[in-house]
Amino acid sequence: MDSTKKYHPRPSLTFNMAPMIDVVFLLIIFFVLVSTFASAERIPMELPDPDSSQALNVKLTDRAIINVQLVDPDSPGSSEVAYSIGPNRPQSLAVISERLMAHKRAVPDLKVVIRADKRVRYGDVREIMEIVAEHGIEMMNIVAHVGDAGPAS
Amino acid sequence: MKAARVNHASGNGAVHFRPRRKRTQRELTALTLNLAPMVDVVFLLLIFFISTTTFKRAEGILPAQLPKQGNMADALALPISPIIVHLQQTGPGPADYVIRVEDFVDTPTTFSELSAFLKRVQENPGFDDETPVVLKTSPDVQWDHVVGCWNAAVAAGCKHVSFGVE
Repeated sequence: MDSTKKYHPRPSLTFNMAPMIDVVFLLIIFFVLVSTFASAERIPMELPDPDSSQALNVKLTDRAIINVQLVDPDSPGSSEVAYSIGPNRPQSLAVISERLMAHKRAVPDLKVVIRADKRVRYGDVREIMEIVAEHGIEMMNIVAHVGDAGPAS
Repeated sequence: MKAARVNHASGNGAVHFRPRRKRTQRELTALTLNLAPMVDVVFLLLIFFISTTTFKRAEGILPAQLPKQGNMADALALPISPIIVHLQQTGPGPADYVIRVEDFVDTPTTFSELSAFLKRVQENPGFDDETPVVLKTSPDVQWDHVVGCWNAAVAAGCKHVSFGVE
């Protein structure tokens, strides 16, 4: 054996994972940032989607969200509706009125947000509007989808 | 600097010297970080976020003013004559509705036409964006159309839009 032969280390066969991890972390950070966890108050429903919507994407404080949804949305002829305040289970109009009154007493500057399914009849939403007006709440907000281009200035 | 040498005594009493480069090569191999479990977890997180993320359309609000302490009909008790828009159901279908503006001959058929009509009305003498618009809707009209009508009035620049009783 030639003792004068120069030593050459064997080339490394390890896979360089650093760029892949960079990309994967970047994707994870993207998904974490864009994920907005749905509020329990916002019950899933088909909201009104007007042309060139003027709806403003603002966050209100001191507000009560009243949901008006169809009991059986998959049945085309069904028009029975259920009312609920926030994430609660469906309640009667009398209970909603009582809760709204208690809420108004605690928060005098209470704002009401009505989230109604676009397929419900106006008469059903009007029941809530009358309760809101009875309690002296002047500001009522109607929820609709925000337009793709945002409200026109 | 002279290379350090380590003495190794073998069984026969001979002393051998191990070159430094061999020792360092072996130690470096032992210190390699095993990234496989981390990559497993990271991929798991990535798959979780990709599969659970749903891009929902944003919700917004259309502010509405209600009359103070009273029923909705009070909205009509205004000092100046409002523009009254009627929205009535004409048939059993959800799209069977008609728009009519009181005291005006023009009858817009769509909400975009209504918006353009209200803009034109505001240019007439005696009308401006402060002129109240009262939306009188029959109870059987779909909420989608009511919001569409309300949105058309807001899009026309009307500052005072309210609900009335049909």
